Amino acid sequence: MPRETSSTASNSPVAGSGPASGDATTTRAGRGWLWSLLGGLVILGGIAAIPTLGSDTLTSNWTIITMYIVLAQSWNFIGGFTGYSAFGNVTFFGIGAYAVAVSFLSNPKVISPYDPQRPQQFFIGLLAGVVISAIFAFLIGLPTLRLKGHYFAIATLGTSVAVEEIVTQRDVAGSGGLASPPFPPLSLHIAFYYGFVALALVCLLLTTWLARSKFGYALVAIRENEQAAQTLGIATTWYKVGAYVLSAIPTAIAGGIYAYYSSGFEPATVFTSSISVTMVLVTFLGGSGTVLGPIIGAIIFEYASQQFALSSGQATSVFGYHFGSDTLLGVAIIIVAIALPQGLVRVVQEFTRRPVAGGAGASGNSRANQFVEGVRRVRKFIAANGI
Amino acid sequence: MQPIVDWLLLGSFYAAVALGFSLVWGIMNIINLAHGVFIITGAYIAYQVATNLHLSPFLALFFSMGMLFALGWIIQYGIINRVIRGPLLVTFLLTFGLELLLTDTLQNLFTSDNRFINSTIEGAGINLGSAHISLVRFISAAIAIVLTAALAAFLSRTRLGNAILATGMDRDAARLMGIDIRQIYALTFAISAALAGAAGALLGQMQAFYPTRGELFTLRSFAIVVLGGLGTPWAVVAGGMVFAFIETFLPVVLPRVGVGYENAVAFAVFVIVLLVRPTGLFGKAFYSQ
Repeated sequence: MPRETSSTASNSPVAGSGPASGDATTTRAGRGWLWSLLGGLVILGGIAAIPTLGSDTLTSNWTIITMYIVLAQSWNFIGGFTGYSAFGNVTFFGIGAYAVAVSFLSNPKVISPYDPQRPQQFFIGLLAGVVISAIFAFLIGLPTLRLKGHYFAIATLGTSVAVEEIVTQRDVAGSGGLASPPFPPLSLHIAFYYGFVALALVCLLLTTWLARSKFGYALVAIRENEQAAQTLGIATTWYKVGAYVLSAIPTAIAGGIYAYYSSGFEPATVFTSSISVTMVLVTFLGGSGTVLGPIIGAIIFEYASQQFALSSGQATSVFGYHFGSDTLLGVAIIIVAIALPQGLVRVVQEFTRRPVAGGAGASGNSRANQFVEGVRRVRKFIAANGI
Repeated sequence: MQPIVDWLLLGSFYAAVALGFSLVWGIMNIINLAHGVFIITGAYIAYQVATNLHLSPFLALFFSMGMLFALGWIIQYGIINRVIRGPLLVTFLLTFGLELLLTDTLQNLFTSDNRFINSTIEGAGINLGSAHISLVRFISAAIAIVLTAALAAFLSRTRLGNAILATGMDRDAARLMGIDIRQIYALTFAISAALAGAAGALLGQMQAFYPTRGELFTLRSFAIVVLGGLGTPWAVVAGGMVFAFIETFLPVVLPRVGVGYENAVAFAVFVIVLLVRPTGLFGKAFYSQ
């Protein structure tokens, strides 16, 4: 028996509405968002407390993890809520980084690293990065968001490759784009950390707002059925472009902070597709289009890859084979795509979902039965993508 | 005269580059981001065979094709078939994961040094008026055209080819007709990988290659397929010709946009075509004939 017959006969009343993507969140709208927000606040609160432990290594590891939380959360606006497969969001990250670098380099009068004008220069760069990224997202989004599926994905991927090439060829911020701006040594290294935490908090609030607001509902409607959304009078183009700009802004700020944090970078490091793909991967791992998904996914993946000593660029050798960071990113992608394409958050929701009264799945009330039912639902949920 | 010869030879070679990419996209609706690295893998296999067994690189091409056929089969049957009904983004992500994995493996096995396959007929050529036709490039272009013709004939003349086309048109109807779509998908992907392997063996004799070179060829394949349209194998040749035309003559018209902007050019061509004529220049609704 082909599998899709059994999945359409599932016990959910909305089962006919295509892949079981968003219905868990939308039908359980109730107070689910409040719990998600609280959960997010607790997680971010925990992260904010980490520097008090006093370990520098731990703090710097979690700086990068928090950065990926921000990146995944902002990708979620366009990829998760709107369902547009943006594969080039690293473009905005790179633009943010280069805006800060250029801002520092553009004021040759300031030579002493302790000059009081320096911090201003950073914020000017950050602001410039945000403005340029927003305009760029608008200009690129307007034509490319008319494209569907694969075409949009490749268009965004191509954007990042093309921008990288242009930055390299035009020698932006240094020969070949090699930027090492005269950043002042920051006495408070922790500033980067809380910069990212604050950004993650803003993104969390934005995501919660999206999950509850008319704007967010319009985006979900576009994801589920764009033509129907248009028929209902949603100005789809503007909502899509809005979501794209919204996802570009935090990414650009993160790029700007990263530029200062890293103190020197080149086009290949801040425009690499690996960053774009990591955003997508961790959001999928956690659950795209959910409030908590990007946070959980980013923490799990980045923590795991740091444990494999990957994110630092070091390679681990097993049987003479050197596992570069890309190997494990690749393996993680394959595992997540096969086993968990709906994300951890949705799997948990699917597991705990109560069967509809009178439905085929409502068999017995004992804990053991409910557990078995849950496992069965999850297995069906995961297997639904294959042939 | 010389630019025209260069253009025609490059265009034929580009057809070989994008042929497999177009097949997988048309039949399975999958964008194989690992296509570029398949090509590079093919180049490395041909390099190894040609240097270690002292064979002509054009014979080494068959080794590349065979090994990539097997690799493609395993990848589709073991991995991609498991997510083929999932959202578009999942297959897209998955092939990107494969690309990272393969590129890293190549780097492990062969380092990231530049390689070049020295052909036994290196430097030989024909002078045609003021133009010089390199024999290596000429044979490569001929092989590319032969591969295109072979694929077109296979798809339209054989039962297996018809089964592939039928699966591409309607997966569920094809299954009801008794076609084992898992096998057909595996076969389609394997053929696509074998064609990439052939393109790689040709590439290795024309330019230097290294593991991360693949990305450029994926992007080019996409631009070529979009230019030609997802119609038939011959549409890929048309797309390759148009793309090669732009690459050959753009530096003549705009000298400043020459070397170094290959990706940006491929991307710009791609976006402009999509906006002006989304079905490509010779595109049809699905892969047929």
